[in-house]
Amino acid sequence: MSVHGNCGSQDEIWADKVKKIKVVCEMKLKIDTKTRAMVHLSSLLLRKYHGGHVAIRLALGGATNRPFYRIVAAYNKRSRDGKYIEQLGSYDPLPNIYNEKLVSFNFDRIKYWMGCGAHPTKPVAKLLGLAGFFPLHPMTITEAERRIKSEAKTQKEEEEDEEEKQAEQ
Amino acid sequence: MAARCAGRALSRAARSVINAEYNRAARSQTVQRLTCTAAPGSSSSGQDADRLKAVQFADAEVQDILNRITGLDLNKVFQPVKQELKPPKYRLLTDTQLEEAAHKAGTQAKKLLKMPPVLPERKPIEEVLCEDKMLEGMDKAKYVFTDITYNIPHRERFIVVREPSGTLRKASWEERDRLLQVYFPKNERKLTPPPMFKEENLKVMFGQNRHHAVLNYCLVQFEPDSAEFKRVHALTYEDIEKNGKYNLLWSTRLFGGLVWHLISSQRIDGLLSDMLQRDRVHDAESLVHLFNLAHPQSDSALQAQQQQASGLELLKIYADCECQRPGFIKLALQVYEQTKTQSSA
Repeated sequence: MSVHGNCGSQDEIWADKVKKIKVVCEMKLKIDTKTRAMVHLSSLLLRKYHGGHVAIRLALGGATNRPFYRIVAAYNKRSRDGKYIEQLGSYDPLPNIYNEKLVSFNFDRIKYWMGCGAHPTKPVAKLLGLAGFFPLHPMTITEAERRIKSEAKTQKEEEEDEEEKQAEQ
Repeated sequence: MAARCAGRALSRAARSVINAEYNRAARSQTVQRLTCTAAPGSSSSGQDADRLKAVQFADAEVQDILNRITGLDLNKVFQPVKQELKPPKYRLLTDTQLEEAAHKAGTQAKKLLKMPPVLPERKPIEEVLCEDKMLEGMDKAKYVFTDITYNIPHRERFIVVREPSGTLRKASWEERDRLLQVYFPKNERKLTPPPMFKEENLKVMFGQNRHHAVLNYCLVQFEPDSAEFKRVHALTYEDIEKNGKYNLLWSTRLFGGLVWHLISSQRIDGLLSDMLQRDRVHDAESLVHLFNLAHPQSDSALQAQQQQASGLELLKIYADCECQRPGFIKLALQVYEQTKTQSSA
């Protein structure tokens, strides 16, 4: 029984709703609350971002002509480089002296956020596919094929140019 | 299809992907992080262990003997190390608090003298998780994926490389060390090993008698089972053995490693003669005892077991059987016995 009577504040109503849904979930799934951590029902908590969701995406940082991405769990409607919920890793698109592009993932937390209903964006899904955590993204394969085709084309053109030069000589 | 399998394999709690060798090595490293564990099949025995089992570096008996031989020269142990100058702090303590502080200082000294582990060399990682020919030509650079989950021991971490040819393989040991230093940096460890560890520069350091500095830096920079670590240590020990500079490492935590290296290559004559010269007869006896434990099939060990020898007799048996310079040791023993009888008389 709330102190304010029938016209209880919005927060209390929402808290009640969340509690009821949790109880129903627990009853249906028979979860033991003491051993399970609190379940973020993110779609419900986003009452201010109605229709929004948590996204796992790349936030750009770095300097001019030197990009550096942080893999970040943030609300969908937030700005790209703005306030995020949690950083889940990093991605350096420029190769280092060993010709490696360094990517780091906090798989434990990524699993958690995916479990809460977060949506990864296309580049993040591609990276996770390359890592082996997700199945390979179809666009990765398509891009590889396109690159092979274009390289084959340029090679053909070069060969034709050489033939013409030799013919002239 | 293959990619999906790989994806499922990794995403199913990563720890459940068990590689037999990894698991054994990883568990032994993680469960007893400070003390090393004996890995079976080390190169130091190399004999049939049917009846008499050769002893490993990590056994309690061996460690006990090595600790005793190392000695405790307080002046050398607590040698002033170059540090930032800080003004001294004074505290007012009761008697019991003073005892506790002394006790803590004792344990701290023991930690400083803790011997770094001698482990067999790590085998190169050659596991390929997935081969995707359709990804060939996707990119000219490799992608290296590291798992930054906080609570996993570094040996069990997943560090995986996607080559431009499309193969997904586990990272090699050198790549692992470098990436772990990038994401979980250790104090004073560099990403690329400093030029001090090249042969020419090591010789300069040896000329200046700075073996302990070399070995300490090596401990900081490399993992104990890496090839580089073993190479630097081998070079240092060879130089010490060649020039007889055993006293440089005496009473430091590096002495045990030196003794073990000499014992496993069966070249303890120089060290024995050095000890006898400095009148450390008990240490010499423990050294021979350790040699017998490590090479139970050798002549001196068998004879010592037959005669149940101990003390100076052990040394005599060793001088007779295995020694390459028996003359000096016998002379030294004679002198020692003479002085003993003189002092007692």
